[in-house]
Amino acid sequence: MKAIVVGSGEVGYHIADRLSREGQDVTVIEKDPDRAQELGERLNARILEGNGASPEVLEKAEAGQADLFIAVTDLDEVNIIACLLVAELSPEGGGPRRIARVKSVEYEREDGKLNARKLGIDKLINPQATVATEISNLVGYGAATGVAEFAGGRVLVLGYPLATDSPLAGVSLRELGEIRGSMYPLVIAAVTRQEKTLIPGGDDELKAGDTVYFACRRHELPAVRYLFGLSDEESVRRVFVLGGGRVGRQVARRLAKDKGFRVTVVDRNERNCKSIARDIAGVRVLNTDGTDLETLREEGLDLADVFVAVTQDDKANILCSLLAKRVGAERAIALVDQPEFVTLAPSLGVDACLSARLATAAAILKHVRGGLVETLSMLATGDAEVLEMVLPGDNPHLEKPLKTLRLPDDSIIASIVRGEEAIIPSGDDVLKEGDHVVLFALPSAVPKLQGYLGNDRRRS
Amino acid sequence: MNVRLTLRLLGGLLVFLAAAMALPLPFAFTDGTTLAFLLSIAASGGAGMILLLAFPVRGEIGVREGFGIVTLAWLSFSVFGALPFVISGAIPGPIDAVFESMSGFTTTGATVITDLAPVPDAILFWRALTHWLGGMGIIVLSLAILPLLGVGGMQLFQAEVPGPTADKLAPRIQDTAKALWGAYVLLTAVQTVLLLFGGMNLHEALCHAFATMATGGFSTENASVGAWGPYVHWVITLFMFLAGVNFAFHYAALFRRSPSTYLKSEELRLFAFIVLAATGLTAGWNAFSGQALGDAVRDAAFTVVSIVTTTGFATADYELWPAFPLAVIVALMLIGGCAGSTGGGVKVVRVLLVLKHAGLQLQRLIHPREVRLLKFDDHVVPVEITRSVLAFVILYSSLFVAGSLAMAACGLDLLTAAGSSIACLGNIGPAVGGVGPTDNYAFIPAAGKVVLIFLMLLGRLEVYTVLVLALPSFWRR
Repeated sequence: MKAIVVGSGEVGYHIADRLSREGQDVTVIEKDPDRAQELGERLNARILEGNGASPEVLEKAEAGQADLFIAVTDLDEVNIIACLLVAELSPEGGGPRRIARVKSVEYEREDGKLNARKLGIDKLINPQATVATEISNLVGYGAATGVAEFAGGRVLVLGYPLATDSPLAGVSLRELGEIRGSMYPLVIAAVTRQEKTLIPGGDDELKAGDTVYFACRRHELPAVRYLFGLSDEESVRRVFVLGGGRVGRQVARRLAKDKGFRVTVVDRNERNCKSIARDIAGVRVLNTDGTDLETLREEGLDLADVFVAVTQDDKANILCSLLAKRVGAERAIALVDQPEFVTLAPSLGVDACLSARLATAAAILKHVRGGLVETLSMLATGDAEVLEMVLPGDNPHLEKPLKTLRLPDDSIIASIVRGEEAIIPSGDDVLKEGDHVVLFALPSAVPKLQGYLGNDRRRS
Repeated sequence: MNVRLTLRLLGGLLVFLAAAMALPLPFAFTDGTTLAFLLSIAASGGAGMILLLAFPVRGEIGVREGFGIVTLAWLSFSVFGALPFVISGAIPGPIDAVFESMSGFTTTGATVITDLAPVPDAILFWRALTHWLGGMGIIVLSLAILPLLGVGGMQLFQAEVPGPTADKLAPRIQDTAKALWGAYVLLTAVQTVLLLFGGMNLHEALCHAFATMATGGFSTENASVGAWGPYVHWVITLFMFLAGVNFAFHYAALFRRSPSTYLKSEELRLFAFIVLAATGLTAGWNAFSGQALGDAVRDAAFTVVSIVTTTGFATADYELWPAFPLAVIVALMLIGGCAGSTGGGVKVVRVLLVLKHAGLQLQRLIHPREVRLLKFDDHVVPVEITRSVLAFVILYSSLFVAGSLAMAACGLDLLTAAGSSIACLGNIGPAVGGVGPTDNYAFIPAAGKVVLIFLMLLGRLEVYTVLVLALPSFWRR
């Protein structure tokens, strides 16, 4: 597959890197000569120096003949114009799938004056909105560090940290299978241990300090939480949101309006505070700094269930999260973009770290593969993906019990969605034509999975 | 201020007043006041023509001219409007006549006539007509029908229309004025017809409809509306209430078919709540004290609406009520109608904004860093408006106190002094003490009447328009 990425900021770099690791033919268009030089040394991709919104540069990149065109520069206008140009360069009715990162919310609306369809863009990705959605989901699920919903919300994928006193610490997956029987249907799909993610097999043991990712049916979540030694769904009521930027506003609006939480937004810019108080109903706004603990305690931070730090400053987010927990906030979620910090923060005591960069990359990759495989989500550390595949009728592995299948290493079937039914599979379940299969996989396993579960034997 | 331009426009307005004075003529032919009206028409028409001819200037109406024209117009209308009273002999004293005329134009409804029975029909009609002309505003009316004030109409409109925010219904101010007058005329016509069914003749029905829709309060009978039966009481209660509502809403409901505008207004909801709560309290208390329930409800509803809209009609002497319901009525005198209505007083929206502002200040004591904005109808109220409203309330209260002091200095007892001060400043009419619903203002000394004349003008033009003329910098460039 031939992919073109315009812009090599954090998002662009991450996507280009990911695609080239998967063996795709990647071209990166970068305006800044120094950055282009640097990319040439680090990326296994073709680097073109120039403006992504220039017809000349796009022709040189043979954008019209590509399969995938991703515009992720910092400027909405450049991304939109680049996509429009590629549409012009493409043969009639063809051309690459076009994905653009657009920060302005106005283009996202279906009824907008200029929406994605009118601009000839297949998918608009809004990083802030994407990460805001993830954060809002996380806040609602107790102590979870990661959450995704499938099959219309009937299947959940959650990540929970394993406490030292958890009954599951020291238990191997095989033993766990024996304990749980048919009472607690769940599939443990991934374990993050010491900043590395592994897809566990039957002999692997769970250890205290692990973050365990599993799939289960929504209505069985309370039973599974009990198995993990977690109390019943603690009722989240009070949420503090530090930072009233785009992300903070969307998180605050969602939590206050859709979930009915008592939301307090903290921002040190007074004008920002006023515009939030004007635009978002039912939200309390405090004009102070995230380190002004005296005021925050006065306003009830010690009683808060969740503290969400989403300023533009990674370090401030981590620091204030830790301070908030010390004052008495139950949990803390931080927006952290720098890759080094994403893995560091959990070990410091931040309950969950999200990255707009990763969320955007995940959202884009979700639309990259088309057809058979879709990436649905990524784990916080960014090294494992949740995929969804639709099984074609000519796949040789249909109608065989799962325990007899030899899936590629570092991949696991977490759930099977068959029509209206959501199955948490055991070894005796079988795959059928048209099933939507939810898988966990490390990136190296993704192309192999495509061959194994698809019908393309050349790539298996 | 461009004095020549101001005087020219004033001339135009006086010619307009002369035309309005022709309206009572059909009644004047039968009761012998024809000469009085013809002379009055000649006087104001002549004065107007002289001003028009003497200052053939053109120019832009600025902020200063706006304030100047509006204040001068109201003063001169009251003076020339007093002529029919003096010439016909109905009110021989010139100060008394100007008081009555000012009370009419400002829709106060305070009268110096002790006995209405011998007063000719044409004079009674003129009294009611002064209400009706002043109710929606003489400038707004002129904007609607006279091309003369075309340029700079916005300045004039804002100087005259009550309320902290003057709603523009149409891009052109003339069209806004027409819209407001359209709703005003239509409601007056409907009420006149309904009153005819209640046993009034055309003269009585017109006079009462004028006085109701303008929230004035002049009646044709000594017993005021009490001279008619329950049906008339309820009709007038309903239309007094409507007159206390923003006419922009009436316009939207009547001509744009969007009655939901009523429900969206926070001010109107509070206004309706105040009326219902006050009616319930007074009716309940009076019924408990021995009045028949039906009468108690009717009297309470009529009196509450009459006072809160600053109309001033009476069916019952509330001064004979127990202390609590009387206190409720006095409290209503301090509130007034909605902004954009024909009612006077502080206005519900200002009370609402001041209370909300005070609430926010209280909150700030416990949550010093919390950012809360003053919202009204789901919109953030700019700080300048809040300041202006606070200043208005302070000026208004100061004028009330100053007026009370002046009236006490004229020899009135404390209750009457305070009552007459608030009744005239709020354009209500009847108050408490010596100027209760069964009394009149005839006994007040001339100096006191002059004070009250100015209080009425200050109240009707909402303080600022008149007071800026007292600033030295208004006259300096």
